[in-house]
Amino acid sequence: MGLGSIASRALRSNTLRPGHTNLLRRSIVTTTELRNAEAAQAQPETPPPDLPPRTPVAGARVHFPNPEDAIEVFVDGYPVKIPKGMTVLQACEIAGVDIPRFCYHSRLSIAGNCRMCLVEVEKSPKPVASCAMPALPGMKIKTDTPLAKKAREGVMEFLLMNHPLDCPICDQGGECDLQDQSMAFGSDRGRFTETKRSVVDKNLGPLVKTVMTRCIQCTRCVRFATEIAGVQDLGMLGRGSGEEIGTYVEKLMTSELSGNVIDICPVGALTSKPFAFKARNWELKGTESIDVTDAVGSNIRIDSRGPEVMRVVPRLNEDINEEWISDKTRFFYDGLKRQRLNDPMIRGPDGRFKAVSWRDALAVVAEVIHQVKADEIVGVAGKLSDAESMMALKDFLNKMGSNNVLCEGNGPNPNADLRSGYIMNTSISGLENADVFLLVGTQPRVEAAMVNARIRKTVRATQAKVGYVGPATDLNYDHEHLGTGPQTLSEIAKGSHPFSSTLMNAKNPCIIVGAGIFERDDKDAIFSVVEAIAERAKAVRPDWNGMNVLLLNAAQAAALDLGLVPESDKGIESSKFIYLMGADDVNLEKIPEDAFVVYQGHHGDRSVYRANVILPASAFSEKEGTYVNTEGCAQTTVPAVPTVGDARDDWKIVRALSEVAGVILPYDSLSAIRSRMKTVAPNLVNVDEREPATFSYSLKPESQQKISTTPFKAAVENFYMTDPITRASKVMAQCSALLSKK
Amino acid sequence: MAGVVRNALKSIREKGLRNFFGELKEEGYLKCLLDGNLLQTKMQNIGATLVGIDKFGNKYYEKFGDTQYGRHRWVEYASKDRYNASQVPPEWHGWLHFITDHTGDELLLLKPSRYGVEHRENLSGEGDEYIYHSKGHSLNPGQRDWTRYQPWKPTKA
Repeated sequence: MGLGSIASRALRSNTLRPGHTNLLRRSIVTTTELRNAEAAQAQPETPPPDLPPRTPVAGARVHFPNPEDAIEVFVDGYPVKIPKGMTVLQACEIAGVDIPRFCYHSRLSIAGNCRMCLVEVEKSPKPVASCAMPALPGMKIKTDTPLAKKAREGVMEFLLMNHPLDCPICDQGGECDLQDQSMAFGSDRGRFTETKRSVVDKNLGPLVKTVMTRCIQCTRCVRFATEIAGVQDLGMLGRGSGEEIGTYVEKLMTSELSGNVIDICPVGALTSKPFAFKARNWELKGTESIDVTDAVGSNIRIDSRGPEVMRVVPRLNEDINEEWISDKTRFFYDGLKRQRLNDPMIRGPDGRFKAVSWRDALAVVAEVIHQVKADEIVGVAGKLSDAESMMALKDFLNKMGSNNVLCEGNGPNPNADLRSGYIMNTSISGLENADVFLLVGTQPRVEAAMVNARIRKTVRATQAKVGYVGPATDLNYDHEHLGTGPQTLSEIAKGSHPFSSTLMNAKNPCIIVGAGIFERDDKDAIFSVVEAIAERAKAVRPDWNGMNVLLLNAAQAAALDLGLVPESDKGIESSKFIYLMGADDVNLEKIPEDAFVVYQGHHGDRSVYRANVILPASAFSEKEGTYVNTEGCAQTTVPAVPTVGDARDDWKIVRALSEVAGVILPYDSLSAIRSRMKTVAPNLVNVDEREPATFSYSLKPESQQKISTTPFKAAVENFYMTDPITRASKVMAQCSALLSKK
Repeated sequence: MAGVVRNALKSIREKGLRNFFGELKEEGYLKCLLDGNLLQTKMQNIGATLVGIDKFGNKYYEKFGDTQYGRHRWVEYASKDRYNASQVPPEWHGWLHFITDHTGDELLLLKPSRYGVEHRENLSGEGDEYIYHSKGHSLNPGQRDWTRYQPWKPTKA
């Protein structure tokens, strides 16, 4: 007896219990129940199979608006409860069955033209397209039958007929839906012997690269452009095999959300132009971080390879950016590699910068700061500053005796006392419940593209009315341009304006004030007028808060939370020592000639040319920092790439400087500075959770200001270039040259 | 042996004693006193036929008769002090190692002119400046810059 047979005997005796042995033996079993018809009928219906509960696909959740609307369907014999009106595909997702699809996208309208999602439904003669078929009570859906598989294989064969075999040079390779699904439903050989269809590539601008031969006409991009981006640029031309996606006439895609078509394209027809042939997606390291180019704080994933940021893609966050990001967020990353400050520098007596060591640079700054009077010291935090560094800067300057710390964009006299006065109280996702919008001096399309997408979504879904006060602009939804200046607001407040009745009759009115108003002298007066409107329209109630401020920059909310408020409005003009922490939009003309300027930042942008000492800091992709977005949600960035050159984290520089200056700050780790932040503003350490404001504007003292008649100005002149990083970016420069409307 | 002495005397007569010694030095006869290998080569050369001289000045000899077959071809390197086998160019390598009976000069006629870099001897151990360093090596004078960012340059005075 050989060793093998001993082993097999031992195995058999282990695996087979006595009762199962006859199952394995091929034996003829007589179907007694078929012979005995009455006995078969007497048998009850086959009980529901005892299947283990499956987890829904991608965390799909069921929400029953009305409990009696729940219906039950069976997916592969497994019963699921779903609300009425759901499609078969959604029912399958809740049952934990992932149906292959190309054209279906949960945030777009249903097209039903790719036919990949075919499933078998009992009593239906043909396989049905599950994405377009509403689920009916008691429907028995079969997703893995030979019929469904054969149908999908047929669809796949037709799709691959005209699809080029260029996966090795395709940028979508590795993250391509067609590639993945052809592994399951594709044939290993083709039967197609004719020549493949070829389509001329379209020029959609500097961001989206097209290889239209790869297109499978799922029309996701067309639906995205018309429904979410709100531009009628893309469309379908031709019929049958001549069908192609394109701009009807040769033109560029002018949307601030155009980059998202790259993500929703299931094949490599639309890919990122700046990323083209730069890397393959499996080489990249993903870091889940936060966008800082606007105040929305979109959730992003920074894909890096070694020390380089290769691309930025969105991350799902239903409360903030859903699954979209703006073009600025997606494509500004090449600015992180240009114009970087990498060495501490001191301007010599000849006016030239010389690279020096950190020790020397800090010693010079500490020496000078002790030579000036305490009230002549001013600190300015920049647009991209994180809360940690602003905390350190404020603590340091306070210890030096100065209380002139401000954050650019917040204006000379910001209101930091009432949190409800500078955040979006409705919350971004809450905008979907509003039925009338009043935009005051804000152009959300350029100031916060994701908020604008939310408003557009609401307008599209519920026909909400939008009134807009400000300079003429192009919002991509129906709106009423009420006026350009504050006097229109007074008319609405008085009730003499036709729009005020719309506002009064609204159930959930929503007023959004732009942060550009912070820079105006009559800011308090405007706010009190807006509050009067809110009062009349009952916009602030226990169940609804429709009084919002839309901020412009990532640092603004955290700066106000931390109380970065200047002591006097003329701080900069009368200063002798100015500490610019990444502040590049400060009016350099206002800085006195004899002032000593320290610039701490990551890009050689504008202020470095006025600086006396340059301290290189790390950009948001290289450090851990807390940012509060416009709705008051604190989020943290995570370092994705190493810092460049000799740069250091912002707060560490300030901490080191405090030691050299002899006023040591009492924290030397990130957790220590965060606990310091917690004592000042507890919401800053409550990461990823929106902290609503407690008190409303009603506590505010009456303003004595008079409204001026100066019309509102546009807060953002160029959507693509707003901060040091985007101004350094070549792609953003191309975009603003080609796409921004003049 | 007598012939050698006769030849030597003849050249002294023709060139003068000074030139003769100069030539002796150039030919490496002084080095022979310390370098046994060279001395042996020099002694072997007596009566051997000079088959060819390559472009580096290495001399290739052949002698049948009293030499053992397989040791009947040899080279006298042009360099008398630092010589090594990598100084033999490829065209002579085959002849020297009995791979072919064609001499290097014959083989050079077959060499296409469009390719082939100049033969270089192996300089390992001769010092860092002679050795090949990769593009990232710090000793490579044209070391590649792997910096992935472009620093800001203070241009304005």
